[in-house]
Amino acid sequence: MSKTITIDPVTRVEGHGRVTIHLDDQGNVDESYFHIVEFRGFERFIQGHPYWQAPNLVQRLCGICPVSHHLAAAKAIDQLVGIDPTDLSPVATKLRRLLHYAQIFQSHALHFFYLASPDLLFGVDAPPEKRNVVGVAVENRDLAVKGITMRKFGQELIKALAGKKIHGTLAVPGGVYKSLKPEERELFLNGKEFPSIDTMIKWSQEVVDFMKDYHNKNRDFLDTFAAFPSGHLGTVKTDGALELYDGKLRAIDSEGNIILPDVEADDYVQYFSEAVAKWSYMKFPYLKKIGRKKGWNRVGPLARLNMCDYIPTPLAEKARREYFEFTGSSVNNCTMYSHWARLIETLHCAEMMKKLLLDPDILNDEDLVRKGDERQVGIGIIEAPRGTLTHHYEVDDKGKIVRCNLIVSTTHNNDAMNEAVKWVADKVLSRQKTITEGMLNQVEVAIRAYDPCLSCATQAMGKMPLKVELYDHDGTLIGEKLKN
Amino acid sequence: MRTLLIGIGNGSRGDDALGWLFLKEIEEKDHGRFELEYRYQLQVEDADLISKYERVLFVDATEEHLPDGFIIKKCEPANSYFFSSHLQSPETVLYLSKSLYHHTPEAFVLPIKGYKWELGEPLSRKANEHLKKALGSFRTSVLYEEAKINVTEKEEQF
Repeated sequence: MSKTITIDPVTRVEGHGRVTIHLDDQGNVDESYFHIVEFRGFERFIQGHPYWQAPNLVQRLCGICPVSHHLAAAKAIDQLVGIDPTDLSPVATKLRRLLHYAQIFQSHALHFFYLASPDLLFGVDAPPEKRNVVGVAVENRDLAVKGITMRKFGQELIKALAGKKIHGTLAVPGGVYKSLKPEERELFLNGKEFPSIDTMIKWSQEVVDFMKDYHNKNRDFLDTFAAFPSGHLGTVKTDGALELYDGKLRAIDSEGNIILPDVEADDYVQYFSEAVAKWSYMKFPYLKKIGRKKGWNRVGPLARLNMCDYIPTPLAEKARREYFEFTGSSVNNCTMYSHWARLIETLHCAEMMKKLLLDPDILNDEDLVRKGDERQVGIGIIEAPRGTLTHHYEVDDKGKIVRCNLIVSTTHNNDAMNEAVKWVADKVLSRQKTITEGMLNQVEVAIRAYDPCLSCATQAMGKMPLKVELYDHDGTLIGEKLKN
Repeated sequence: MRTLLIGIGNGSRGDDALGWLFLKEIEEKDHGRFELEYRYQLQVEDADLISKYERVLFVDATEEHLPDGFIIKKCEPANSYFFSSHLQSPETVLYLSKSLYHHTPEAFVLPIKGYKWELGEPLSRKANEHLKKALGSFRTSVLYEEAKINVTEKEEQF
């Protein structure tokens, strides 16, 4: 008799998702799906609002990465007031960048310490009551305190720049609302109220070293678990350096061949399309010239390290070189290396924060906002913690939004996460007489490596019910359950 | 006694605003007596925050039936974990404060009964009644009085 395994909800990810795995009569995996059950709505909801509201409205998509949406929307709205990224004042650019690095730093710290480290420290089949951040706190206090403090550092910097840790405001059309005060900056340099930026750099290096050591000890597992070829997408500077705030779009294939050659972010529509599936609210972006089946790309830390030529800060670049010396190839297609890549980016963000905190421009309260000739289309693309994030707005002649398209990082990873689930289903669950909790957790481990933010990916609006439907091998509905 | 009040909820979702409205009233009428933090949800890092206080009160809306519409009760550390990274219980946050920072503030929870939770809804009439009763009761409690004593001491120092 055929059987369906349901994991609902998928845990230690941001938002609600569900996995169904359909087994045939012999216990082989027939089909597997990673369903996103939150409902999308922001693209429609925002229509009719004046454009200047967008950077503040869209960040309500999420409580984890509101800053990323705020900045991507702000870049798009800049264009509506006639300001391209190169027209923005140096003061505004540096303040926005500082906010962006603080956001990625705290988000990456959250993911590693709160969500991923329990699997790495205790093993993927450890008891679930131990395999969580409380377990980490009890058994590895030093690591937990560092994780919480690193996240706090990023959040406090966000608060200093945007007024609030969550849903604050820094960016306004064509610039920024305010600069930093000297006493605000001093908080992050002197280490009196909380550890300084130098400590953040030191701790980031320590965690990168921890991860390198972890890979040395667990190489067989990490090299094979949910490993599969794919394209990789991100943004780079004109010289190929990793660029998180304003770069050109580059995609490579699984062997490192460039398939999207550093094109202008504003031209994304020429290159990308989005597919839908009846079993998920999340879209499936892909490169048009390659097609729906093979044109999808991984995004985020793993992809970014793969597609960039170098990282423009010394410590992170050294860590990147060691990472590729370890992997032995110029492209890494192993899902689990995402964690190491994420920590190298954390170090890069710490270095960038220090550079910007020491820059006198961030204290300058002149030339904060600029204005040009108004336009009716604005596109903003940044590298958010989870990957390439696109905001696209069109307005009427009164400045009201008539069209909005959001391609959120997690949607780019939609195919990759489904591929990872399939890998685990085939290699771990197929033909097993007993399915253990530890085996099911491996499905979640594969998804968790991509740090999906499902609320963002579907632009969810609040508390949504979960509906679980069970089908037999003929596709007949045999049961359903509603969870509020 | 240095006391922190944490209001948990969402001001845009009907009676889910109860925790925030409680704090707002204290902020307006009892300025300076307490330190206040507004939260959508409790998170792991709130353990760091509460570890710096002697006493903490968590105020939140609840769907549970409460005979008086609210209750003030002691909160003890407990090793429980919710699957989301950003939704922890007061008991877990206390437990983390104890484990990570070796300090457990005296803690209380104040759930207030709510009825309606939809986006954009105002506070319901019955929830508003419970809020007023909860504020009245809180202002006659030892939590309020001892915080008041502390403010007086602070003022005298100046």
